[in-house]
Amino acid sequence: MAGRTPVVLERECDRYRPIYYAAASGDFNPIHLDKEVAQAVGLPGNILHGMCTMAWAAEVAVDALGGDPGDLKTLQVRFSRPVKIDDRITFSAELGTDEANPGRLQIKALNQEGQEVLKNAWATGPAAEAR
Amino acid sequence: MAVDPKFKGHSYGPYRYEVGLEKIREFAVAISSAALPYEAARHSPRQLRPIYHDLETGKASRHGSVVAPPTFCVNFAMAPFLEAVVDPQLSIDLPMLLHGEQTFEFFDVVRPGDVMTTSGVITDIYERAQKDFIIVVSESKNQTGKLVVRGTWTAVVRR
Repeated sequence: MAGRTPVVLERECDRYRPIYYAAASGDFNPIHLDKEVAQAVGLPGNILHGMCTMAWAAEVAVDALGGDPGDLKTLQVRFSRPVKIDDRITFSAELGTDEANPGRLQIKALNQEGQEVLKNAWATGPAAEAR
Repeated sequence: MAVDPKFKGHSYGPYRYEVGLEKIREFAVAISSAALPYEAARHSPRQLRPIYHDLETGKASRHGSVVAPPTFCVNFAMAPFLEAVVDPQLSIDLPMLLHGEQTFEFFDVVRPGDVMTTSGVITDIYERAQKDFIIVVSESKNQTGKLVVRGTWTAVVRR
């Protein structure tokens, strides 16, 4: 279980990451794969699937819970900013200070410019459930 | 054009999905920062958690098997959400759709060979700040009938 020292995980959205993720997940929405389609709807370019960012958030949460994926009980995120090609995201998870939700892990996800790509992101493990 | 709230309560599914070991491995590589193929990525435990791909590690774990990364469930649990957003009755302009929020509640792990059955329902449709919000809740059960994951999927349609 994570203490007050955050557990950290780095992930990079290389050029082919959205293609790998599309194939692995079955989500072939062209805004993730085709720069022209994405730009036509006002996005900066093709963007990573939010669900891939969430998969990364799940990994840092599992690390913080001790490494067993079966210990992750709840995971919630809000996608607050697109992850673009070549973005490097630093994830961290640490026990929150919310009195109403003891044991809840607060997750942060910042891009290389320090901007949050997830907001209201948190996870729970079995310890929080048992309380 | 706003999405008509009369579609609240619309249900989608059931969808059947059989979980395969190699699909789990492929997914595990995709959510790393490692490069494909799996054979090249498998030696980096910082990228690829061994229980997601290594049979011996899985067998020695309390799960007795390789298990899927938690959000591997997109492969089956997303089906009602995907069908809802392309449902011609809802007439959503797909490129204007963004995935706004996501919640998963996990009740069990997913193992190779599991057969998942997923159903979903539109639980809410509302408008806020010139955007349409569509909420779909999915429930996925395994071959024993046990609820494995509940997903709450929030689509945001820009105008």
